[in-house]
Amino acid sequence: MTTTSHSHRRRHTAAGGALAATAALLLSACSGGGAAGGSAAGAGGAAGEPVAGGNLTFAITVDSHCIDPQQVGNNDAIAVARQTVASLTAQDPETAEIVPWLAESWEVNDDASSYTFHLREDATFADGTPIDAESVKTNFDAIVALGATASLGSQYLVGYEGTTVVDDRTVRVDFSAPSAQFLQATSTFSLGLLAPESASLSAEERCAGKFVGSGPFAVQSYTQDQEVVLEKVAGYAWGSQANSHTGEAYLDTVTFKVIPEASVRTGALQSGQIDATAAISTVDLPQFDGNGFSLNQRANPGVVYNLFPNESSELAADEAVRRAILKGIDRQQIVDTVLSAQDAPATAVLSHSTPLYESLGDALAYDPEGAKKLLEDAGWVEGADGIREKDGKKLTTTVTFWQTPDALELVQQQLRQIGFDLQLNFVTVAESQAAKESGDFDFDYYNLTRSDPDVLRTIFSANARNINQRDAEEVDDLLDRSAATTDQAERQELVTQASQLLVEKAHAIPVYELSTTIAASEKVHDLKFEASSRLDFYDAWVDAA
Amino acid sequence: MSATTDARATTEHASGASGVTDREDARLLQRHGLTRVPRDKDRAAGRARRAAGHLSRRPGLVLAGLVLLLVTAWAVAPHAFTAQDPLNGVPADRLQPPSAAHWFGTDHLGRDVWTRAVHGASLTLRTTALAVVVGVVVGSLLGLLAGFLRGWVDDLVGRVVDVLLAIPSILLSLAIITALGFGPVKVAIAVGVGSVATFARVMRAEVLRVSTSVYVEAARASGLRWPAVLARHVLPNSSGPVLALVALDFGTAVLAVSALSFLGYGNPPPAPEWGALVSGGRDYLATAWWLTTLPGLVIVAVVLAANRLSRALEKTGEDQ
Amino acid sequence: MARYILRRVGQGVFVLWATFTIAFFVLYLLPSDPAALIAAGGGGEVDQIDPALLEELRAQHGLDRPVIVQYGDALWQAVRGDFGASYLSGAPATSLVAQALPETLKLTGVALALAVAGGALLAVASVFPRARALRQALSALPPLGVALPTFFVGLLLLQWLSFRVPVFPAIGNEGAISLVLPAVTLAVPAGAQLAQVLSRSLRGTLGEPYVETAWAKGAGRGRVFLAHALRNAAIPAFTVLGIMVGGLLGGAVVTETVFSRVGLGRLTVQSVNQQDVPVVLAIVVFSALVFVVVTLVVDLVYPLLDPRIESSGITESRRSTAVAA
Repeated sequence: MTTTSHSHRRRHTAAGGALAATAALLLSACSGGGAAGGSAAGAGGAAGEPVAGGNLTFAITVDSHCIDPQQVGNNDAIAVARQTVASLTAQDPETAEIVPWLAESWEVNDDASSYTFHLREDATFADGTPIDAESVKTNFDAIVALGATASLGSQYLVGYEGTTVVDDRTVRVDFSAPSAQFLQATSTFSLGLLAPESASLSAEERCAGKFVGSGPFAVQSYTQDQEVVLEKVAGYAWGSQANSHTGEAYLDTVTFKVIPEASVRTGALQSGQIDATAAISTVDLPQFDGNGFSLNQRANPGVVYNLFPNESSELAADEAVRRAILKGIDRQQIVDTVLSAQDAPATAVLSHSTPLYESLGDALAYDPEGAKKLLEDAGWVEGADGIREKDGKKLTTTVTFWQTPDALELVQQQLRQIGFDLQLNFVTVAESQAAKESGDFDFDYYNLTRSDPDVLRTIFSANARNINQRDAEEVDDLLDRSAATTDQAERQELVTQASQLLVEKAHAIPVYELSTTIAASEKVHDLKFEASSRLDFYDAWVDAA
Repeated sequence: MSATTDARATTEHASGASGVTDREDARLLQRHGLTRVPRDKDRAAGRARRAAGHLSRRPGLVLAGLVLLLVTAWAVAPHAFTAQDPLNGVPADRLQPPSAAHWFGTDHLGRDVWTRAVHGASLTLRTTALAVVVGVVVGSLLGLLAGFLRGWVDDLVGRVVDVLLAIPSILLSLAIITALGFGPVKVAIAVGVGSVATFARVMRAEVLRVSTSVYVEAARASGLRWPAVLARHVLPNSSGPVLALVALDFGTAVLAVSALSFLGYGNPPPAPEWGALVSGGRDYLATAWWLTTLPGLVIVAVVLAANRLSRALEKTGEDQ
Repeated sequence: MARYILRRVGQGVFVLWATFTIAFFVLYLLPSDPAALIAAGGGGEVDQIDPALLEELRAQHGLDRPVIVQYGDALWQAVRGDFGASYLSGAPATSLVAQALPETLKLTGVALALAVAGGALLAVASVFPRARALRQALSALPPLGVALPTFFVGLLLLQWLSFRVPVFPAIGNEGAISLVLPAVTLAVPAGAQLAQVLSRSLRGTLGEPYVETAWAKGAGRGRVFLAHALRNAAIPAFTVLGIMVGGLLGGAVVTETVFSRVGLGRLTVQSVNQQDVPVVLAIVVFSALVFVVVTLVVDLVYPLLDPRIESSGITESRRSTAVAA
């Protein structure tokens, strides 16, 4: 699981984006946005045939000192790592359908506990060794062995019993319990394949980029805190069906420069020091809409930015208080004030670009009067300073977070209107981690990007992460059952019901949808989003100089 | 941030750099006119009269005094200077340039920047004052003990001071913040520790000077125990230069505190600390110049004023 | 002389040891659990950390041993140049510092040159001109320079010379031209500080007998200035070098942050944000090492420069004349 992260105190950019279902909306929102579905990079998208050759410089905000695809969990690191590995499957960003990549086909047993993949014949690792069934087994075993260091991959492999090499081209992965999310997981970079020798490297060596991957690009050089240079892999010919070509990447090199300051990124893009970035601050975005630049936005699928109540703490255990917060947040105002015009307020616990998303409609409407009434009825009366009190205790609580504080500052301001004092405890990533681990927080705040609704279960289920630290109840049954069914209609039903229940009881307090915006010079074409709104440089090309 | 070390630098240097002798310390103090701060209460009235004439010839000093008075008033009674709310903005009015309604413009949440700067005064000045207090108290105590007890205590303090001087003050502060975590009190401690060395040195030199003077020797000879000598004779007579140094240190501390709050180690948002105000504007450099420039100028004005005042104190010392 | 050098080196080593020790114990007081920090790694989120994994990490990094044992071990390793592995990346802290160093050296080197040139120029200009008003106006500049927060100067330069009038690039690590704004930013307080010291000591030397003698002999105004006053005034200023270099290293923290430059300063901020203790420790000890070495060199060279230390009046004036000739 990742929190979509930019270095803290840094603004992530905002955007709206879409699945096919909402493509019409997107088209009206950003005219000239190239191909719909949030794939093609902006205005330049239709400018003729791709040409091979050329280099692209892309700014990222932070170097987390690791670019190993199987270990990274940070958005910027993922942007680099994604390009270096191919996965068994790919996910179509428009339909969310799982399509072939290294595996030509697959079968799933009835209770989603056993997966069999048939690999394509010709694929090799970047060093030329063939990608065979044995190498798949080596990778999955290694990820499980990495444990928590492979923070995402090991989550996807919870319940992993083992991989069986059926023959040279066929592998079977078995789980001790149903794991419906696994098929989508095989499309992620976290379960991307590294050459078997890389499995024997230390975690640190792999972080430093010393691995041999399977993707269209390979690491040429990595200077910590400064830049990562990727070069295209000659002879790569197995692009996934989610991409628009299958041969070698068009770009000769992609250079990722680490530029922590938002203002400096803006200046660098303007002056041509960089060609593109996904981290332009909201207010600077309009100047890149046209004027020789293009914007392309897509909402990150998964669980939106939420306030997560720790229900083992006294105040958050009170359902009335939780529901008052839920009603006291004006989500549209947050979008209007600190995000961009194309951004979307939360309409469910999942973002609208997540498969099986369904809007919860009025459940998340702004209702300050309703919030006040809830608090009145629960005995919280307004004190002299406007903050409510009950039995001499103030209605005050704390949210612990490390992300950019803008949206929360506004939430804080809004909640003060209903007499609720929300304190912002702005900490380091490390401290927030420690707080999470010890359970020493009232409210947590983050989002999780994943293009599969199972992310709901992993966070909320009392039998999984149990972010609320509460006892098992009805919703957990729904969530656990959603992991065990491969029937889409049934899964849809379970996910929607669970989502409704989570909001009804205010176990989840959704705020807004994180989105990613690529701002690029107009010489850059087809810099795309993959299904999880991760960047995909494979189809990208630049105008000949 | 080398600016933060500055005001101290000249002081620290002669002592810090080399085979420090007491004489060097004394010379250094003389250069700052710190050794001869008046300590005779009888002449206070005469001084006041002369000061009035003195001030009329120094408009810069008067201005400096006014600036410091003004920000102190901001800190004490912010509501007298602005009727707006520093924390709750009008989101629809975001990022407006300076105008009659918003002297310093508005920020990304539609909050009035002038109001935030006014309300930020108490936060910033409180942290700064606490930092100075930490520096003065710890530093003076160390210097007092070293100068009075001499021997191994003096050696030990001397070595600790050497170490504190060897690390650039911002790195020292950052190391302390790494250990303690974020927050205004922690920032104050981190900044205060940075000036401990200076105060320790000045205090020690003063104590040495005073304690070899005739009346202290006499007091000792007459059988007074050392805590009594310390409290009755040494401490009051050594405090003058230290007080003068406090003014010098104040400007430095404002800079250091702002720098640390700029880096995000101070009060959590939405607290309007001055450094954080400037920092909050950095993402809007291309679109909203007022967010960085105007709060930045407030900091500059306060530091200039504090430094001007400390120079005047220095001069007064020299004139005596 | 040899004994003096030996004693000074001994003092320097002591300062380094004490710096390491104090920093180690201060950082050891950290409230958070280093094992959790290591497990959290790169800032992405790990939903749950297995307690068994934490135990394993503690054992692996020796965090389960008594503090004093850890200290002894860390000290021994540090003597051999090993400050342990970064919690964040697992790379050796020393190599992270070494990697970041060249860019910071470039920045501080250029800034030091700018500060010395600018500071000297300003000091002379605020003492030399005959017009009192001009002198006064120029003397107001150094106090202003030291009152400017570094982050403020950097942001203003960026805003006006990179955004409004795009003369200089915004990123700070691309060729010589990109070094201009950060170096100026860093040089402002250092130069102002130098100008203050220098003009003070210039005013002092102008009153010295040998300068008055030179005036009396009818030497030109400029010559007296350069040959006598400035040369002698520069000597005390020279001794501020240690403090100045330290100040520049410290200033790099903010400057590199504002300009998104790679270097030691940014490494510091990042390590503090992530509570990457081994790296912070390495940086603190390194900066102390720089200070110790610079002041040692200054102390050793100082007697060679300052004629008043080794000889008196007559040789002194002859030397000055010789240089002037």
